[in-house]
Amino acid sequence: MSRLLHILAIIAVTIPPVFAHHSFAMYDHTRTVTLKGEVTKFQWTNPHGYLELDVKQKDGSVKHFSCEMTSINMMLRLGWRSNMIKAGDQVVATVAPLLNGDPAGLLLDVTLPDGRKLEPGVPAVNTFKRTAPEEQ
Amino acid sequence: MRIAASGLLVIGAFAAAVTLGAQAPATHPDFSGSYERFGNIFGQPTAAQLADKTIPPRNPPAPLLPGPMKEYQDRLAAIREADRKGTPLASGYVNCLGDGMPSMMNAMFPIEFLVTKNQVTVIEEAFTQVRRILIDRPMKKVEDVEPGFFGYSVGHWEGDTLVAETVGIKEEIRYQNVPHTKDLRIKERIHLVAPNILWNEITMEDPAVLEKPWTVTIAYRRMPDYTLLEYICEDNREYRDANGVQQIRVNK
Repeated sequence: MSRLLHILAIIAVTIPPVFAHHSFAMYDHTRTVTLKGEVTKFQWTNPHGYLELDVKQKDGSVKHFSCEMTSINMMLRLGWRSNMIKAGDQVVATVAPLLNGDPAGLLLDVTLPDGRKLEPGVPAVNTFKRTAPEEQ
Repeated sequence: MRIAASGLLVIGAFAAAVTLGAQAPATHPDFSGSYERFGNIFGQPTAAQLADKTIPPRNPPAPLLPGPMKEYQDRLAAIREADRKGTPLASGYVNCLGDGMPSMMNAMFPIEFLVTKNQVTVIEEAFTQVRRILIDRPMKKVEDVEPGFFGYSVGHWEGDTLVAETVGIKEEIRYQNVPHTKDLRIKERIHLVAPNILWNEITMEDPAVLEKPWTVTIAYRRMPDYTLLEYICEDNREYRDANGVQQIRVNK
């Protein structure tokens, strides 16, 4: 599996940057946030898939985040499957947050409970600056 | 003498017909199959890209006349500025609309050609876009075609090349934001340049907007084991707000 993921990672960085469904300019390109949370839904839909997360806050409350992914067609070609993540999974997601402050972000990568790290193949992913883990 | 001359003419014409018949291939190539965009050059081409004759040269910019050029450049500047501010202008994609012609031939996602006797069908995976090129059928006048995303296309074979012509593209369906009028005419020459590499030389003609025809070449590489996937906009959370800005509906 690690070999497969290595191949996926290579494919992910060689995806041409023009193949975007729409602009991702509404997401912050200058910082990332790290979401450690429980999956409430792994939504396998077009035009984009969504990873829905409940993230426990320091005060004990729970905040919900929506993580936008790419087209499931692209994700399938990169090796993703609809059953790779399920409700109840504890995951760690790296996202570029929405600039308007709404609790959502563009998923750059997600680490599954078994340690596998998946990337949804965001176009021009290198234009998103990754910053030190900033938990929400 | 006159009869003899006529006879010679008939024989000559027959010989010419036989010769032409021998030159024309009995069948055209069947390049049916799934393909992906191939040979994009981003930035400076590498030595390997320059040496690879199956990679088309970089496409030229649109040779727009001054008025349309200003509109085009203003539009690009507005898009860049909106992106810089983090408030991107909504494109048709935001409403899950397909590309239309000729943008769909850019093959953002895999593309399938189905070559049959009377029709060549082109399917682009993203948004499940379908167009039909009718073979050896007469072209219609622009005014007889209701404007649409894909227009009306006819085609014929010139040797190994499928030559297609399309009219009837809605003015808001733009290729790379380049404006056009209802009189836009799209000519395509689609042919294999290697067993698994297909080229589409797309020429756009629109004298009211372009100072000369604009040709771009798109290359596709065969995906022998790939079957196009379905693509349905099942949950589109993006939308265009009253200011034309792309927004996203967030589940809180």
